[in-house]
Amino acid sequence: MSKPLKLEKKRFGEFVDVLLSRYWVFGPVEVDGVARFRRIESADALKPGFPGTVESPKGVFFPQMETMLTGDRNEAASTSGPEEPIAIVGARPCDARALLMLDRVFGTGERTDPYWTRRYRDALVVVAGCTEPMAGCFCNWLGSGPFGRTGADIMLTDTGDAFVVEACSEKGSGFLEQAKGLSLSEASGEDQSKAEGVRSAAESAMPEKTDVSSLKEILDRSWDSPLWDRLAERCLSCAACAYLCPTCHCFDIQDEKLPGTGRYRRIRIWDSCMAPLFTKEASGHNPRPAGRERLRQRVMHKFNYFVEACNETACVGCGRCVRSCPVNIDIREVLAEFVNAG
Amino acid sequence: MAGVEQALRETARELLREGKVGTIIGYVRGSTPFRSTPAFIENEEEADRLVFDVTCGSNLARYVRNHGRDGRVAIVAKGCDGRAVVQYLSEGQLKRDDVLIVGVPCTGVLDHGKVSRLVRNRNVTGFREENGKLVFEGDGFEVTADREDVLADSCLRCRYPNPPVHDVFLDEPAEAAPDGLHWQELEKFEQMAAQERWAFFEKEFARCIRCYACRNACPMCYCEECFVDQSDPQWIGKGIDPSDTMLFHLVRALHTAGRCVECGACERACPLGIRLDLLNSKLEREVHDRFGYTPGTDPDETPAMATYDEEDKQEFML
Repeated sequence: MSKPLKLEKKRFGEFVDVLLSRYWVFGPVEVDGVARFRRIESADALKPGFPGTVESPKGVFFPQMETMLTGDRNEAASTSGPEEPIAIVGARPCDARALLMLDRVFGTGERTDPYWTRRYRDALVVVAGCTEPMAGCFCNWLGSGPFGRTGADIMLTDTGDAFVVEACSEKGSGFLEQAKGLSLSEASGEDQSKAEGVRSAAESAMPEKTDVSSLKEILDRSWDSPLWDRLAERCLSCAACAYLCPTCHCFDIQDEKLPGTGRYRRIRIWDSCMAPLFTKEASGHNPRPAGRERLRQRVMHKFNYFVEACNETACVGCGRCVRSCPVNIDIREVLAEFVNAG
Repeated sequence: MAGVEQALRETARELLREGKVGTIIGYVRGSTPFRSTPAFIENEEEADRLVFDVTCGSNLARYVRNHGRDGRVAIVAKGCDGRAVVQYLSEGQLKRDDVLIVGVPCTGVLDHGKVSRLVRNRNVTGFREENGKLVFEGDGFEVTADREDVLADSCLRCRYPNPPVHDVFLDEPAEAAPDGLHWQELEKFEQMAAQERWAFFEKEFARCIRCYACRNACPMCYCEECFVDQSDPQWIGKGIDPSDTMLFHLVRALHTAGRCVECGACERACPLGIRLDLLNSKLEREVHDRFGYTPGTDPDETPAMATYDEEDKQEFML
C-alpha cells in the first residue's frame, strides 16, 4: 500500500474536483437543515467537516425506491445504472463496513443483484474517520472502531488544518496514485504522528463496551424470552430504525401503472420487518402477527441469523437507531439485557 | 418538579399496594440523560423508577387501549396524554372505569431532534435545568439552551398543559401558553401565497421516508389496519413519489381532523424533523371555528365528526 499522504483542507476542493472528473460523487450535504447523502456536482457543495447523517448512505447504492424496468403490454426494458462509477466521500467507517456487509447479500455468490452491483462494484469509498464518537455510537462493541477500515478504499484522518490520507485497498491506492501531486503531498512523520494521536484519542473516547461475543448463542435459546414481550410493550413498531439502519436491506417489489401512458413500471422499495404487511400471506394469515414477533425478527436477523449465514453481525454499531428511536429503545441496552440474562 | 416526581412515586406505590390498578404507564429514565422511555410499572419496588420532567415526550395514551390485560391501568398524564384519553372516552374506545388518570402539570417537553441538532449529535452525559435554561454537557462541551430552542413547538403554544379530566392530580396546575399564541404559527403560514405553501409542503414531505413513526406515535392513529397497510385493494403506492408521500400525510391529517389533541408526538417521532403540525393545526382550527369543538376536552361531548346538525356550516360544499 502506498505511503500516507497529506491533503490540506484549503485544497480539499481540488481533491473533490479530481473525484468529480471520474465519478458521480456523493457526500453528506445539508438539505433543508438535515445532513443527507446527496450527489454533489461542484466541489464547493461538500465541506470537509462531514456532518453525521440521520440516514445512512446505503440509499446511494440501494435507493429507497428504484425503477427496475418499465414496459407496456408488448415489451419491457430494464433501467440503466449510473453513467460514471460512484464515489462516496465523508462516509463513516461504520458506513463503509455496512456497505461491504450489504455486498455480502447483494453482490456475492452465485447470483448477484445487478441493481446493487452496478453501483457498488466500481465504487470508491472515501471514509472520514470519526474524531469524536456520536451519541449512541457503539462500533467498538462489534469489532470495529472510529478508524475501522473494513469496506473503505481511502481513509481520511482529520488533523486540524489537513487530512492524512491513506489507501485501504488496491482501488484506493490506485486512485491516490493518480491523484498524487494534484492536491496531495506526502505526509511527514509529524503529520503521521498527529494522525496517530487523533486516532488513539478517538478510540479512548468510545463508550465502555459490553462483551457481546456470546450473544449469538444466547439468542439461539431466547426465542421465547419474556424480554421480547417487555420490549414490544413500548416499541411503536415503526420502521424508523430499519430505514435509517445502514445494513437493513429488505425490500418489496411492486408494479405500478404510469398514469395516462398505458405503461407500467416495476419498482423496488425498502420494506421492513416491522411493517404488518411484511409477512402477511395471501390467505390473510400473518405468521408475525404483532410487534413482539416483528421486533424479535429484527434483532434475531441482525445478531443471530446473519451470524449463522455470514459469520458476522448485521449491525455495525452506527447508533442511528439509538439516536432516532421515538421511544428511546436503545439497542445497546437490549443487547446487554440479553447478555446479562444469559 | 422534583416534588412532582416524589408525589408520583408515592401515588404509584399506593395504587399498586391497594390493588387499585395492575399497571402504571409512566416514564422512566432513558439511555441518555435527556431522554426518558415509556415504562409499565407493575410492582411497588419499581415505582421508584418513575420520573416526570421535561424529557417525558412520548404520548403515553397510545399504550392505554392495548393494556387492559392486567386489570385497571393507570396513566401518568400530562395535558396532551390526558386529552388523548378523554378523546378515547368520547370515541367509545375506553370506558371511564378502565383507566385511572394520574395528572401531572406539564411545562413542556424536549424535542429530542432539536437537542441532537443543537449538540451536533455529540454524546450528552449530563443534563440539567438551571435558571430557566437547559444545559447539556458531554466530554469537552457544555451547551446552554433557552427553553424555546429545544422544547417541542407544540409545547410552546400549548393550551392544555394539565389533563382536563383526572382521578389524581399531583402538584399545582401548570400555566397555559398566553392567549393568541396558539394559532400564531398557523396564521403566519396562512399569510403565505398558495404556491408558497405548496412549495413548503413539497420541501418538507420530500424528506419523508415512509417509516410511519409519526402515525405510530400518534395516540389518535389507532385503526386496527391503516389504509397504507392494506393490500387488497391497495390504496396507495408504497414508494416515495411525492404524490404517494403526500397522500399518506393528507389522509392521515384528514383522519385525525377534529380528533388531534395537538400533542406533537408525531413531530417529535419524525427522524427527519418534518413539520407535521401545520396540516393538523389548520384542520383543528376549521373544526373549532365551524363546530365549536375542541377534541379531548370533554368526555361527554360527541366528537365533531360523529354528529350532524342542520345548522352546520356547509358553504364549502360544491
